[in-house]
Amino acid sequence: MSTPMLEIKNLHVRVEDQEILKGVNLTLNRGEVHAVMGRNGSGKSTLSYVLAGKDDYEITDGEILFNGEDLLEMEPDERAAAGVFLAFQYPIEIPGVATMTFLKAAMNAQRKSRGEGELSTPEFMKAVKEAASLLEVKQDMLKRPLNVGFSGGEKKRAEILQMALLAPQLCILDETDSGLDIDALKVVSEGVNKLRGPDRTMLVITHYQRLLNHIVPDVVHVFSDGRVVETGGKELALELEAKGYADFDAETAA
Amino acid sequence: MNIQAPIRLSAAEESLASQLDSVGAEGLATLVRDKGLPTRRVESYHYTDLKMLLNDVPPLASAAQAGGAPATDIAGAYRIVVANGIVQNSGTAPAGIAVGTVEGPVMASRDDLIVSLNGALGKQALGLDLTGDVDPVIHVDHRFEGAAAHVLSRTRIAVAAGAKATIIETVSGSDAAHLGNLATHVSLGEGAEVTHIVVDMSALQARQFSNLEYRIEANAKLKSVMINAGAALARAQVFADFVGEGAHSDFLGLNVADTDEHRDITLDISHAVPNTTSTELYKQIVRGRGKGVFQGKITVVKDAQKTDAKMMTQGLMLSDEAEILAKPELVIYADDVVCGHGATCGDLDETSLFYLMSRGIPRADAEVMLIRAFLAEIVDAVENESVSEVLTDIVERWLSKDV
Ligand SMILES: Nc1ncnc2c1ncn2[C@@H]1O[C@H](COP(=O)(O)OP(=O)(O)O)[C@@H](O)[C@H]1O
Ligand SMILES: [Mg+2]
Repeated sequence: MSTPMLEIKNLHVRVEDQEILKGVNLTLNRGEVHAVMGRNGSGKSTLSYVLAGKDDYEITDGEILFNGEDLLEMEPDERAAAGVFLAFQYPIEIPGVATMTFLKAAMNAQRKSRGEGELSTPEFMKAVKEAASLLEVKQDMLKRPLNVGFSGGEKKRAEILQMALLAPQLCILDETDSGLDIDALKVVSEGVNKLRGPDRTMLVITHYQRLLNHIVPDVVHVFSDGRVVETGGKELALELEAKGYADFDAETAA
Repeated sequence: MNIQAPIRLSAAEESLASQLDSVGAEGLATLVRDKGLPTRRVESYHYTDLKMLLNDVPPLASAAQAGGAPATDIAGAYRIVVANGIVQNSGTAPAGIAVGTVEGPVMASRDDLIVSLNGALGKQALGLDLTGDVDPVIHVDHRFEGAAAHVLSRTRIAVAAGAKATIIETVSGSDAAHLGNLATHVSLGEGAEVTHIVVDMSALQARQFSNLEYRIEANAKLKSVMINAGAALARAQVFADFVGEGAHSDFLGLNVADTDEHRDITLDISHAVPNTTSTELYKQIVRGRGKGVFQGKITVVKDAQKTDAKMMTQGLMLSDEAEILAKPELVIYADDVVCGHGATCGDLDETSLFYLMSRGIPRADAEVMLIRAFLAEIVDAVENESVSEVLTDIVERWLSKDV
């Protein structure tokens, strides 16, 4: 059996003396799409930030292996270069940084860390154009400073655009569906589905089942109070939608 | 009766007094002997105590030739060199620009020793009379050359009614501990549109005073940009008087300070007539043990109704030992006005840094991106492309310096 792409073992995380993640165990194999479902405040975003390397968190126990290597030892930029990508639940607005400048810097930084040369301007423009038309991102958005003045839905689309351009191995999508109307949800899901492949693994975080109609997962995990309380196939999402989270909370308590 | 005890003069004060004696400016010499250099007890010098900071005054400059190429070359600009305060041959002036020399002080007399020193010790002023739509950018290239000297440089710019011009003044020169004192008066006739930029790029051991004065008539439009990017001690004073209705000005500025540098911009704007508007945006970026000072005072006189003035100052601190001091101040005597001010100060935003890094951009590069973003607002405010490129260059040079 080959090494899983991502292994999270007994992960405990604190923020300001409060334990948020209380022993998370997850194994994601190459090419799989996993969904993590859980109510607000259960620690889903915390998990995504810890994976991406945000440093406000204290890891008190456990480990994270990415392709067998210790992810927690790596800086956020090193994780990105190694192939980790987080589509943020709340993408940051950065005035004064042009979107295109940012995209080019990100793509070239990752290429550089892999020992590849810089993209030429025409190559870069072509890649952006293709990804933008796939995700129906308007040219006008790309001319603005990074995420500045983007609507909620535009921000989410821009995140997936970045994901398409950076072609990561591990895609973590944190509530990419929130803020999207039905049409946008379709466009974004199609974009994500195009990126599915045998070498790419996805962790799709959501608290609604509806996204999973479009991005159909191989595995569904129910997340409650900082840990995984149930794991199943895609039908688990439907069950959760029907029963609500309360039943699963009870299991946690038991 | 109010008898002042005689003060102990510092070496710098002794030199100043004798330089004033040598040009027959007895009144000012007496003032220096009686009061000395401004200390922190003088409100406008509160954060820049010259008695403490100015250790010596080098001898008055003698005439010199500008050495070498300009510190910055502006594509397509009409350049006039002023070396050690003396206007050099400036070639044939393009249409709309009359170049001459003017005797006497260029700025209004005011209760400020540095301005008074420029008036008393300066030899001649560059005079520019601008009419019509002046096409090329005018670059006044102030050079302080030779051994360390006390250099007075002055410019008097009169922009005729309805005229349009972009003027950039730069200060640079030999690598010596000069004491520079620049004074520029710009008068904007009715409806004139002017962008005026002053960039100090003097040697890092130099001490530089830059004094700008604007007189803004009805319906005129001014954009003023002051950048302190040189000298161990740099103090810029920006004075502006709105004297005609319907005028608008944007005042911008930037202090960048490294190591032990001290950079100060002090603003004194008077809305003296009704219906004038202004914005003020001053930024400071400091690292090492650098210190940035901004004082902004906007006065709205009693009859100046409908004044709209918005002042903002932002500071970025890149090290723990660096210091930023900011004091915005509104003095309002009219009742029907819209005025406000704000100040922010901090280090780079960690959340933004994380976002950039999470896309693979290494920390150092992400920091530079955010610093550039911080500075972009000042540089991008200048519409003329070749000038804003030059300003970008100056900022980039500062950024790429190792501290
Ligand atoms: N930086 C932080 N400081 C304090 N509390 C935090 C911080 N980040 C998350 N939390 C808390 O951790 C819990 C989980 O939050 P989060 O991971 O955002 O949940 P979810 O994404 O599942 O809605 C919440 O109670 C939240 O208030
Ligand atoms: Mg969340």
